[in-house]
Amino acid sequence: MIQVSELHFSTEDGVKVLEDVHLHVEQGELLYLVGPAASGKSLLLGLLAAQTPPQRGQILVHGRNVVRLGTEKVLELRRRIGFLPQGYLPLARTVHDNVVFKLRALGDYREQAEEKAMLTLETTGLLRQQQLDAQELSSIDRIRLGIAIALCHDPLLLLLDEPFEGLTEEEVEGIGNLLHRLHNGHLTMIVATRGPLPRMAHEARRVELVDGGVRAR
Amino acid sequence: MNTSMFLFRELLGAIRAKSATYFAFAGLLLFLFLAVVASFFLLTPVEAIDPDAQEPIEEIHAFLSPRLSSATIDERYLQLRERVEVASIQFRFAQELNDSASGGVFVVVPVSNEAAARLMSELARTEGVTEIVEVAQQQADDEAEFSLIVRIGLLCALVLTISGSFILVRLGYRELLEVFAGEVRMLRLSGISPRSISVLVVGFGLLIGVLASVLHFVVIYLVHQIVVSQASPWQVLEGATRGWRIVGIGLVGIALGSILGGLMGLLGASLLHARDFDPLP
Repeated sequence: MIQVSELHFSTEDGVKVLEDVHLHVEQGELLYLVGPAASGKSLLLGLLAAQTPPQRGQILVHGRNVVRLGTEKVLELRRRIGFLPQGYLPLARTVHDNVVFKLRALGDYREQAEEKAMLTLETTGLLRQQQLDAQELSSIDRIRLGIAIALCHDPLLLLLDEPFEGLTEEEVEGIGNLLHRLHNGHLTMIVATRGPLPRMAHEARRVELVDGGVRAR
Repeated sequence: MNTSMFLFRELLGAIRAKSATYFAFAGLLLFLFLAVVASFFLLTPVEAIDPDAQEPIEEIHAFLSPRLSSATIDERYLQLRERVEVASIQFRFAQELNDSASGGVFVVVPVSNEAAARLMSELARTEGVTEIVEVAQQQADDEAEFSLIVRIGLLCALVLTISGSFILVRLGYRELLEVFAGEVRMLRLSGISPRSISVLVVGFGLLIGVLASVLHFVVIYLVHQIVVSQASPWQVLEGATRGWRIVGIGLVGIALGSILGGLMGLLGASLLHARDFDPLP
């Protein structure tokens, strides 16, 4: 499903962020990528999502080498990946319209988009908040909405960057439970976090990103 | 509704009062630019139609008998030069003006048309003058042209309106894209190509250009209708009486407005390269 090998990445200043990273993620696996701040977790997710141009190494996602993909193929791959960026901010519209906007931008007709949005909001527990202004949501609901938006177009891979950031212990458990429910053994998911981890995370595989390389925990 | 139309509608939906004001004034300045361009073709220069201007002053060619002695010619010349009706006088050989003629000719420029009439009758009575010919003087402004000051004024207006329009449209785009930045980030994150997003922005500039030029077409058509409905059209707008010219200028205006609108859109799309629109922090 995802195969990363000999991946290197340096900043413009020449600082090596990723050095000889090897990572394998099975289809349908839920993986926690942990590590301290500035360890390169977000960068690795950006590379996997074909959002950040790679420099050296090999990244296979669904059998496609991201490093060698042309522009159109990169866009096509991005459409098959759900991504929750770190510090996600919803659009200044209702919760419902946030989800519908993405679906319609990806080509769904209004009815189809409405139907999928309702289903996704129900899955992520946001049905009651659907008419609220998304920017007025609580931290946990904001994360739920980010997950809903990443999930609404039925992606093959879900990448979540710091979904527990700024949440209370109880809220971390709530999001953790949601992720495990969504995963349910078939959706491939990578969750990057510097902590805290929900209790359910101990049932999943965890790898640590330290000193630019990946280490199993 | 296809995706592009949906996104274009969303972009228009992000227009707020401030950006709308900038865009409205940018469109207005573009309209004024097109109006100034049209004025080059529609307005008749005032100098050319000044009702107080005098009729062209004529030259009088007084052909002299070849039998006149040079002393007599000198005497006649001096007498004519002293007259108040004469602005200038030259002696030339008749062959310079007419190959078959002989003798000399006085080329007299009178001070006014009334003076010309008096001089004609005086010359007709003068001994040795065989023929008198009136020649209309070639006017320098026969081919009507705008004066230098008017032309400089119009060129300044062109530069000011178009540069003002581009400055305002850039401010408008900055406001609009600030409101729409979240959507742009989401679109990029979702795999919508940056080029598709730029096309929306360019399309909006094109819309401004087309609207301004269509308004321009309507206004010059109305001016044409008003001018032709007058019993005696204003002479300064004589150029607006010709229907084919109005259509031509209107179509050129639409083409020009569309090109400039497209350029405005490109200016707006260039703002999308800023880091604010990157999907990842």
